[in-house]
Amino acid sequence: MNRLKPDVLIIGGGIHGCSAAYHLAKVGVQVTVLEKDWVSRHASGVNAGGVRLLGRDLAEVPLSKVAMKLWQNLDDELDADTGFRKRSLINIAADEQDMNTLYARREKMHTAGYQHETIIDQQELRERLPHVSPFCVGGVVSEDDGYAIPYQSTKAFRRAAERHGAVFMEGECVEQIRKVGTHWHVATRTKAFQAEKLLNCAGAWADKVSVMIGDNVPLTHSAPMLMITARMPHFATPVVGAVSRPLSFKQFENGTVLIGGGSKGFADRDNNRTRLDYKKLAIGAYNAAEFFPIMKKASINRMWSGLEAYMPDNLPVIGRSVNADNAWHAFGFSAHGFQMGPVVGRVMSDLITTGQSTFDLQAFRIDRFERKVL
Amino acid sequence: MSTSFDIAIIGAGPAGMSAAITASENGASVVVLDEKAACGGQIYRNVNNSPLENPEILGSDYTKGGQLVNEFNNCPAEKYYNASVWHVSDSGEVLFSREGETHSLTAREVLICCGAMERPFPIPGWHLPGVMSAGSAQVMLKAEGIVKEDAVFVGTGPLIYLVIAQYLRLGVKVKALIDTTPNTAYIESMPKFPGAIPKTGMLFKGLSLFNEIRKAGVPVYRSAKELAIKGNEQAESIEFFSGGKKHSLETDHVFLHQGVVPHLNLTRAVSLDHEWDKQQLCWRPVHDKWGKSSVDWISVAGDNTGIVGADGAELTGKLVALHQLTRLGKMTETERDVRAEPLNVTLHGLNRFRKFIDSLYRPLDEFRIPQDETTVVCRCEEKTVAELRVGFDQGGRGPNELKGLTRCGMGPCQGRQCGHTVSELLAEWREEEVAEVGYYRLRSPLRLLNLQEFGQFSEIEPVNAAAGDIA
Ligand SMILES: Cc1cc2nc3c(=O)[nH]c(=O)nc-3n(C[C@H](O)[C@H](O)[C@H](O)COP(=O)(O)OP(=O)(O)OC[C@H]3O[C@@H](n4cnc5c(N)ncnc54)[C@H](O)[C@@H]3O)c2cc1C
Ligand SMILES: Cc1cc2nc3c(=O)[nH]c(=O)nc-3n(C[C@H](O)[C@H](O)[C@H](O)COP(=O)(O)OP(=O)(O)OC[C@H]3O[C@@H](n4cnc5c(N)ncnc54)[C@H](O)[C@@H]3O)c2cc1C
Repeated sequence: MNRLKPDVLIIGGGIHGCSAAYHLAKVGVQVTVLEKDWVSRHASGVNAGGVRLLGRDLAEVPLSKVAMKLWQNLDDELDADTGFRKRSLINIAADEQDMNTLYARREKMHTAGYQHETIIDQQELRERLPHVSPFCVGGVVSEDDGYAIPYQSTKAFRRAAERHGAVFMEGECVEQIRKVGTHWHVATRTKAFQAEKLLNCAGAWADKVSVMIGDNVPLTHSAPMLMITARMPHFATPVVGAVSRPLSFKQFENGTVLIGGGSKGFADRDNNRTRLDYKKLAIGAYNAAEFFPIMKKASINRMWSGLEAYMPDNLPVIGRSVNADNAWHAFGFSAHGFQMGPVVGRVMSDLITTGQSTFDLQAFRIDRFERKVL
Repeated sequence: MSTSFDIAIIGAGPAGMSAAITASENGASVVVLDEKAACGGQIYRNVNNSPLENPEILGSDYTKGGQLVNEFNNCPAEKYYNASVWHVSDSGEVLFSREGETHSLTAREVLICCGAMERPFPIPGWHLPGVMSAGSAQVMLKAEGIVKEDAVFVGTGPLIYLVIAQYLRLGVKVKALIDTTPNTAYIESMPKFPGAIPKTGMLFKGLSLFNEIRKAGVPVYRSAKELAIKGNEQAESIEFFSGGKKHSLETDHVFLHQGVVPHLNLTRAVSLDHEWDKQQLCWRPVHDKWGKSSVDWISVAGDNTGIVGADGAELTGKLVALHQLTRLGKMTETERDVRAEPLNVTLHGLNRFRKFIDSLYRPLDEFRIPQDETTVVCRCEEKTVAELRVGFDQGGRGPNELKGLTRCGMGPCQGRQCGHTVSELLAEWREEEVAEVGYYRLRSPLRLLNLQEFGQFSEIEPVNAAAGDIA
């Protein structure tokens, strides 16, 4: 195939670009992925690796549930090691108010027909997490959740896509997009590409690419922060979160503990840089030690952050362009898009090859904010 | 305790001490932070309170530091010891940990002079217990008065001869010196010799150390190659070629050394521009003649800028201070230049001598760029050459991609031990210049940080989950 003139051009080599490339290549479509840096350089390579179904927005649950099924056998499907481990995820309730939040959520989930979240009491919480602080009163668990290794997972999609003939070109930043007749003409600094179909998976830069295609979108970007400890004795098998506190951590098999918590640093996307906000990051450390006193003596080894794309409602954009034919978007995953990688690529492949998806994608339309009257 | 200064100096070695003296005595408010319990840096460690009965045996280069230390102690700069800097922000905030608490201070000018560390010596078995660097042997000696009997010293460079001599003067038995300086080095460095002539005093010192070692009857194996340390749980013996023969020496203690390289963790973490120094085979922060880095208000001095030695460190520290004083409006440019003139003349002489030394003790390719597949490159994560090669073949062409693929450089040392090796190894595999390959992207903290300490650093207001979710 001519790598400069594939059937489909994908912009962005994160997990979504790679997964879409895989699903398209698998059904015989010729794809080229353009990545301005290198595959997995950004959010998809540096995220917390959380594979979480628990606590998803109702609109995301159907996609996330299928993604969760796919994760369980992903290593076989991609013939690779994504590092996925099914560990269950527990969100801890610190007080009765948290429990009430959980009961309300259960009500909502049951009404919608979902049964995958189970409330547990204090005793069961302690059985599952013996080192939890005594003040914690209960929690909610999702059994199939776990974690994977982000860099390996994204690379796994890339390799599998390549085996099916997809082409990845790194160091190619898309600077200009024009539609000439039936074809998209896409230019990087040194190369010109043409394709009938275009997929925007440009992560924290996707609003820029959208504009080049002709769609406006209220995307923002930010730099969520993480830290990891040196190895500690094993003390927690499940992945841990909290109902109302910014706490999130997982202990890997090598004993290191990855701590998140949702606080954000400073993002400078034009220079591919982020800066940490230590005072905010420290809150994650504080909460981890408060909920799990055993962690007080842990040593933090590294801290970092990655550039992530956020939509105002924290839901992604998944679907076709509204202002141009033969262009699609998948971005704006708002700090929980890693888990969705396996399924969204499939959705994009379906949309691009058949024009349809088995999922209801209304909530993810790119113009969902434009139609709102202010 | 004030938290805002004209100048914050990180590192109280000869560079930091002399900078602090010059700056504080000319009207700048100065704070000096060092993670050690006292000033002196690598060379003048414990010079005025040695655990040894007669520290003179450590040599006059050591004891002469006493004067600088006294001057420093008497200068008006604030001194914070046991203060380990773990972050310098883009805006000039310095975060450091002291007695289990994180503190913060700000400064208009920052001077980074964290010195040097020993170059990694990646040969088969170098990761085994019982193998240490000659510099660590010296640290144990200077700080605690501890020595190891019957050790084998391996490598090249002035420091290794010095440490052996220091051992011998204390009556400690040294089993052997396996010298890796190739015989050809003496010939190849000759063209640089004229530059060294004005410093013949230093040269004689070097030679006399070597003679001291021979006279003491320590077996010396010269021009050694193909080193391998053997042992299961612990170093048991070392094998090598020398004089056309294969040798094997039994030993529990091997001390390695092949020169020093700038300590990069801080200069990298604050994202200064760096360049590859082909003469010294190391990365160093880009800087001008006043030590000013690529970031306007950050300067570098001493061995952190490229190896300049203790006397060079003292001079560069002063030069930086003069320029910072001018930038702060506390000294005219004319006065700065007049004062700098004689310093630069001396520094020029030292640099010519340095060229000769760099050439003579240039570590061989085979000891920097490991070829044996089983050699461990990253000691924290125990990653071998073979494992890195797999990562490279999977597309890990730069140090950061390779790190993502193999975990090489992810351990607590932040790549301090493997960074130079990985840059050079990748350059060889890519058949490109090291400068093209680059180095790890580093982040604070520069050291392991206690979770409880860090947690207390936040100004906690109970925050609700609205802060956003990361799954
Ligand atoms: C610190 C952190 C922790 C997170 N934790 C989790 C978690 O635990 N669980 C979870 O599910 N999610 C998590 N996320 C979110 C998740 O990582 C992201 O939602 C997901 O990786 C997004 O993938 P992507 O492919 O859309 O974007 P990216 O991985 O950002 O990829 C987009 C790519 O597009 C490229 N690009 C952009 N513009 C152009 C252009 N003009 N030309 C060429 N290429 C271009 C970029 O260089 C980039 O590589 C986390 C994110 C961060 C930052
Ligand atoms: C192991 C070793 C042994 C040496 N032995 C000799 C010798 O015997 N004779 C000789 O002539 N030369 C010796 N040298 C070379 C000599 O040390 C240097 O030429 C000289 O000390 C350079 O001075 P400096 O001020 O640049 O750095 P240094 O003297 O190394 O001082 C740097 C200081 O910075 C501090 N520091 C580093 N990071 C931080 C941080 N994050 N926070 C706070 N403080 C920090 C350190 O504790 C140290 O005190 C040795 C070098 C090494 C690496």
